[in-house]
Amino acid sequence: MASIALNARFTTTTCDRKTTEHSRETLKTFIGLRQTTLANHNFHSLTKNLPSQQINRRLSIKAAKSSPKITGRNLRVAVIGGGPAGGAAAETLAKGGIETYLIERKLDNCKPCGGAIPLCMVGEFDLPLDIIDRRVTKMKMISPSNVAVDIGQTLKPDEYIGMVRREVLDAYLRERAEKSGATVINGLFLKMDLPKEPNAPYVLHYSAFDGKTGGVGERSTLEVDAVIGADGANSRVAKAINAGDYDYAIAFQERIKIPDDKMVYYENLAEMYVGDDVSPDFYGWVFPKCDHVAVGTGTVTHKGDIKKFQVATRNRAKDKILGGKIIRVEAHPIPEHPRPRRLSGRVALVGDAAGYVTKCSGEGIYFAAKSGRMCGEAIVEGSENGKRMIEEGDLRNYLEKWDKTYWPTYKVLDVLQKVFYRSNPAREAFVEMCADEYVQKMTFDSYLYKRVVPGNPLEDLKLAINTIGSLVRANALRGEMDKISL
Amino acid sequence: MALFSPPSTHFPTISATFTSKTHFTQKPYLPLKFKRNLLFLSIKATENGAGIVEEEKVEKKKEEASVTEVVKEEASLGSNGVSAVAPVEAPVALKFKDPRWVGGTWDLKQFEKDGKTNWDAVIDAEVRRRKWLQDNPETSSNDDPVVFDTSIIPWWSWVKRFHLPEAELLNGRAAMIGFFMAYLVDSLTGVGLVDQMGNFFCKTLLFVAVVGVLLVRKNEDVENLKKLLEETTFYDKQWQATWQDETASGSKKD
Repeated sequence: MASIALNARFTTTTCDRKTTEHSRETLKTFIGLRQTTLANHNFHSLTKNLPSQQINRRLSIKAAKSSPKITGRNLRVAVIGGGPAGGAAAETLAKGGIETYLIERKLDNCKPCGGAIPLCMVGEFDLPLDIIDRRVTKMKMISPSNVAVDIGQTLKPDEYIGMVRREVLDAYLRERAEKSGATVINGLFLKMDLPKEPNAPYVLHYSAFDGKTGGVGERSTLEVDAVIGADGANSRVAKAINAGDYDYAIAFQERIKIPDDKMVYYENLAEMYVGDDVSPDFYGWVFPKCDHVAVGTGTVTHKGDIKKFQVATRNRAKDKILGGKIIRVEAHPIPEHPRPRRLSGRVALVGDAAGYVTKCSGEGIYFAAKSGRMCGEAIVEGSENGKRMIEEGDLRNYLEKWDKTYWPTYKVLDVLQKVFYRSNPAREAFVEMCADEYVQKMTFDSYLYKRVVPGNPLEDLKLAINTIGSLVRANALRGEMDKISL
Repeated sequence: MALFSPPSTHFPTISATFTSKTHFTQKPYLPLKFKRNLLFLSIKATENGAGIVEEEKVEKKKEEASVTEVVKEEASLGSNGVSAVAPVEAPVALKFKDPRWVGGTWDLKQFEKDGKTNWDAVIDAEVRRRKWLQDNPETSSNDDPVVFDTSIIPWWSWVKRFHLPEAELLNGRAAMIGFFMAYLVDSLTGVGLVDQMGNFFCKTLLFVAVVGVLLVRKNEDVENLKKLLEETTFYDKQWQATWQDETASGSKKD
């Protein structure tokens, strides 16, 4: 509807056909997202601010692009944060001929994180196989009433979920960025001065540690033309551009060294526990790590009770981790949804800083790296390999592409979480559903390769009926449970 | 304090092994301290700007220490038998027990009545088991897996037990509403019942009535449905926020 209106608008004006095409290209907002609810609203605002934008475009008809050429140097971009998002962004930028600075406060940072990466990430980011500690080929889902379902039977022999240690993965991606020409600065980003005039540089303040991490560091400044904020959940870049907050879940994890004979069981197997005792809105997990297991749980709604949930998780896995020793305790916020603003001017957020973590599974590494790369690509393209200044519109391209590509994935997982993590009966139904081979195949295909493959309609229908059956049965039982007392 | 106590008292035995190598002294006020740390952690996350290296290190250490201390304290509480702080709960190593629960499933032979399985009794037994597990979450075990699946209970026994009483009510309600709507339409437009059946508008009305009766069974249901609708679109709105910002800031700038 919006595009029809746009067309009508343009045919009444005198600008030539080419400009129309161009403006439409850049003005087009992400339809897939907006159509759902606020079509009217968007349509309205779109037409309202159209004329002025159009004038801008008309002024710039002569040049291929409106942004000025940079002389004497290349475009300078700073990437704040050296996690998967920062590393991937810096590498893409450096390869694209942009003067890249990567600021990371702690080069051996060992972030508390599940550390699972999908198979496609290994290929897409060309990761060496030796950074993968473990290859998980079996997943066990355990329902509140302890029905355990193996969900990995459909995996082909060469398919697996990789478990990495974040310090290893992050360091590897950073090194690769450095090799491609990025400058890695070990420093703590403090704040950022926004430019007063258009095309003026951003001034970043940071304290440089200069190799030794113990010291206070030397206060330094850096002038750049654009900034990518990849500094995680407590992003200072996001604060600097007033990006707003998001709800977050708190993830609590204990790394437990268990006896070798118990470790055999977790060789290539991960466990997921669901239930009100373990987490009211997420799941508890036991993931195998290099030589120990990580036992943890997360929640959004009952953060104060996280300790209780952790105890419950340990209790549910009791026999399997018996005799274990806690070697590390970690907690970390996990974003629940994107920030209200993900870019402003020539500053864009990627990864956890932007809030790209899926619901339901809580996966973020792949999406972080991917968003970093996508943002980098948008900058390289917009600046024509560092020769031109970029503008907000170039970064918007990244956002648009991102939402278009991954919005369905996020939405599906959100729906799954809402339907199946709602209550214990729903979780029972979820586990029952996961016993189905078709479900497993679909889940793993979409997890490992990050693409939504259209399924077999007949199977889908069967699945829907079975799932509704499971839900109805479990809820009927709950109704009876409320009536009796033990 | 009750928040941090384990749901069942047999936990201390593992935690004792977990902390066998820690050397913290037991301090009774520490659980409070832990709570403060946790609060600190959440403040940090919302503040959106924290994360100075030294500060975080210290915090992590403190947290680690307090967590192990909490665990340790619970362990010692268990060992000397003083459980004044922890609520008295199920006795040690409580497991669901029922003579009919054999090998991780209901032994259907014991539910036989007149040569047929009494499914109603199976449902009752399972309800009791689930209720029990809800209050006393049980350790999962690979040696003793749960294989019972509610889908082995035939569909008609579910229908008989849960659907029929409800169906009676809904049926009556739908018939009543249908009758009155037909009457109303007739009195307003003069279209008779037979003609109404051939009319698209009236068919739609009938459909709305049936769906309405199915969805709204109690008064709260209206509220619940509204909430559900809001919930389903909430995530969409959160994602759209950044695009709304575009149009807003765009018009401001110009």
